[in-house]
Amino acid sequence: MNWTGNDMDTYLSQKEYIDTLVIPLVKVEMNLDKMKTSASSTEFVMHLASVIETQFKGRMMFAPPFSYTSTSDLQSIVQTTFQEFSGTPFKHVFFLTTDHVWSTFELPGQVIWMPSIPLESMDASLRQSILEDQLRQVLPKFIEKWSN
Amino acid sequence: MSSKVSRRQFLSYTLMGVGGFMASAMLMPMVRFAVDPVLQPKSEGEFVPTPQKVDKLTETPVRVDFTIKDRKDAWYKSDVSNTAWVYKEGDTVIALSPVCKHLGCTVSWEGSEKHKNEFFCPCHDGRYEKNGKNIPGSPPLGPLDEYMVNVVDGYVYLGKTVPNTLV
Repeated sequence: MNWTGNDMDTYLSQKEYIDTLVIPLVKVEMNLDKMKTSASSTEFVMHLASVIETQFKGRMMFAPPFSYTSTSDLQSIVQTTFQEFSGTPFKHVFFLTTDHVWSTFELPGQVIWMPSIPLESMDASLRQSILEDQLRQVLPKFIEKWSN
Repeated sequence: MSSKVSRRQFLSYTLMGVGGFMASAMLMPMVRFAVDPVLQPKSEGEFVPTPQKVDKLTETPVRVDFTIKDRKDAWYKSDVSNTAWVYKEGDTVIALSPVCKHLGCTVSWEGSEKHKNEFFCPCHDGRYEKNGKNIPGSPPLGPLDEYMVNVVDGYVYLGKTVPNTLV
């Protein structure tokens, strides 16, 4: 499910089935040297999110991506903003990111870190198969969490 | 003497000729545009080619990925990749939609070790028989949709999804 009106209606009527929340974390760089990397990783995370969403539409709700910059005080975001994600009807919370920094924090959910792959130069079919490969890598993490 | 063309007559014939020519130059395309829809060859509907050859199909469903070019979603134009589970039943080609009828996850053939010869949905353990019939006791409430299938030059072409006709 995506964070849209229609999908939210489905969620509200099927809460017992849709028990997983996924929040993509993306870094917005304003430093000219790093902007390209930032854009490329964001593109990757969002594409991956959409592939995962297609696979697990009926069990996962995808929040809009959470953006931060290099000056964001991540420690306080973790302690304030992210606390909102615990204690919700969602039994499982995942954060999807390509940024290593999140592994140093204690988040109210599981961080899924993926190495960023530049998708922009690939043709559609190669991109699709790369994303399917990545999906196969993250799949066990979700299944494992669900089976506990 | 009557066969002699007067200046007045000559001018009016000339003007009529030129005028008629100009009028027809305008009217002909209009008429052509008006009757054009009738002259169009009947297209095959919305069938999309897939890379799957019919000869290679067996009775075991295989995953076929295909792309719908230029799908328009409001102002946003994109290629949509789609998937089908395709197999042969006798000589007929059957293509099932992978979208679970429960809440829309993607099902896969023998997606679970425990359930052989079935479609399996990983979200809530939904199960379907090979013809798409939902197995009672699992969450889905209806059978998997079916794609319209067309075979062109030995390749599978897929059209719209329709409610399952096999169950």
